[in-house]
Amino acid sequence: MAVITTRGITKTYNPDTIPVHALNGVDLDIEKGEFTAIVGPSGSGKTTLLNIIGGLDRPSEGKVIVGGQPIEELSENKLIDFRKDHIGFVFQAYNLIPVLTALENVEFVMLLQKRPAAERRERAMELLRAVGLEDKVNKRPSELSGGQQQRVAVARALAPKPTFILADEPTANLDSTSTAQLLDIMAELNHRESVTFLFSTHDQRVIDRARRIVTLVDGRIDEDVQQSQPATS
Amino acid sequence: MTARLAWRNIWRNPTRSLVVMVAIMLGIYAAMFMSGFATGMARSYVNNAIRTMVGHIQVHVPAYQEEARSAYFLPSPADLAAFAKKQEGLAGYSLRTQVTGMAASSHGNRGVQIRGVDPQQEGSVTDLDDLVADGDFFGETRRNQILIGRKMAENLKVDLRSKVVLTFQDLSGTITAGAFRVTGIFESGNTGFDEGIVLVRQSDLNRLLLPADSILPDSLSMPDSRVIAHEMTLLLDDPGQLDTIQEAFQAAFPGLLVENYKELAPDLRLYESQIQNISIIYLAIILLALVFGIINTMLMAVLERIKELGMLMAVGMNKGKVFSMIVLETLFLTLIGAPIGILLGHLTITYFGRVGIDLSAFSTAMQEYGLSEQLFLELEPVVYYQIPIGVLITAVLAALYPAWKAIRLRPVVAIHKI
Repeated sequence: MAVITTRGITKTYNPDTIPVHALNGVDLDIEKGEFTAIVGPSGSGKTTLLNIIGGLDRPSEGKVIVGGQPIEELSENKLIDFRKDHIGFVFQAYNLIPVLTALENVEFVMLLQKRPAAERRERAMELLRAVGLEDKVNKRPSELSGGQQQRVAVARALAPKPTFILADEPTANLDSTSTAQLLDIMAELNHRESVTFLFSTHDQRVIDRARRIVTLVDGRIDEDVQQSQPATS
Repeated sequence: MTARLAWRNIWRNPTRSLVVMVAIMLGIYAAMFMSGFATGMARSYVNNAIRTMVGHIQVHVPAYQEEARSAYFLPSPADLAAFAKKQEGLAGYSLRTQVTGMAASSHGNRGVQIRGVDPQQEGSVTDLDDLVADGDFFGETRRNQILIGRKMAENLKVDLRSKVVLTFQDLSGTITAGAFRVTGIFESGNTGFDEGIVLVRQSDLNRLLLPADSILPDSLSMPDSRVIAHEMTLLLDDPGQLDTIQEAFQAAFPGLLVENYKELAPDLRLYESQIQNISIIYLAIILLALVFGIINTMLMAVLERIKELGMLMAVGMNKGKVFSMIVLETLFLTLIGAPIGILLGHLTITYFGRVGIDLSAFSTAMQEYGLSEQLFLELEPVVYYQIPIGVLITAVLAALYPAWKAIRLRPVVAIHKI
């Protein structure tokens, strides 16, 4: 059974003035454990599709089913809870909480889930070790490099054990070394935790590592291919 | 976690947070000082009136309060005095003889209320013995001494040792007059009192009111001990016992009218009742101004964090928690400044409540209004409850709009804000 299913997704901005059709009927199935990149030129609808799958935005038409739950049926507050328990986010600009340490940032969503303190601490430490930041647990984001911050963001996204992780241009602000490190970590965690990753990206380095590449053009799926031998670092 | 986040958030921009805290501190300090000043003034007015004129409780025959005629004297002043002596909680009592008449000197005359007092009794209920600026308070033993206020002395152009003739009706209705020698000039701090009332010994006034060979009209009966007194004034040790003592006297003397100072002088009741209102009004005005200052700060704090707030909601922080976080940030800002302001205000009120503020530069105006030159700050205890409650309401009110703004954000838009 697919982790994510979209059927006939359309998204039109400014429908009453100058309509902009960002998505024009997207049908997509993402299976558990996939490591998929959504690619396409600027304005092709990558971010819009990710926002809709992530429950941050609602489609104009169509259905989004995550783990068997049609998310358009959820109220705003239910949707927030749904995101907390099922979706991990990695943003282009890291978006860590600046007043919390790396450890507290990773614990944050688990805290919202009301997980016991000991379990939170253990999971957060385990993930920070996995992303190679065990010596930075008490640093605040302002004391970390961009690459380190994005690794904390990945740890935070994984911490609540979500159904899948959405990463919107996760490497856009990173140098080559940091990008390579981050991709290694995400590939390793995808393998180890069997968690599904869905990226939007322009970055060829990310595309090369994806096992499936969905290409969007003008809000439609233009190409959907499996890479039999994704690159390794 | 929400509280920890809120606490750390307020220290992101320490300068801005400190400015708001100092504004709240100063606002509360100012509210307390102004309330203390106004309360001190009101209390000064009330206390001056009590200590120079009204006392806490007065006893009259009911008709005297309708029309202050000399024939309406107390029927049994000795019984009243005996009862007062047995009563606990009384600082003193004074039986006063009061008639309305004319005071004349060689330079002019004025209408006056002539108050006949026993100096020792009067000294126990009023501060007049301490307020004699020239001469003394019936220090001499000879007859027909008169004490007048400074203003009256100026009006009649008299000084110590000058002669003043008092003219009034005696109990038989005959116009009588007596020559008195000025032995004291008092400055009560109340212009109305200083130019309207003269004090003589009760025995001197009684002699004129009821000459030894005179026969009272049939309508009047001789009081016990042949003392004519129209008023008994009581001063209490503890004003909190006002009702108890008033009721005790009323029960013991049901035919007499026993009234407290609030009933006798409605202006005093008004002043006392306004003490509370003054504090609330000052506090409300200042807190209202603070509300807008806090809203401004918190709105800035929200608007510069739109992206972060969007992220928090995206990863699963629900609107209730986001709302609470903003409210808590506002509460922290407010609750740090407020106690410091309250403490400073309390110390100031305590200090100036003890040593007073010297307002002698405005003494003329102060006296016109029956106020002392030395103003002692005072704050009603209830104000110490009102301030924290007011501050809490202010903080919550000030937080509502920024918090509402925060939860209205759409994560999808907010996280892409630059």
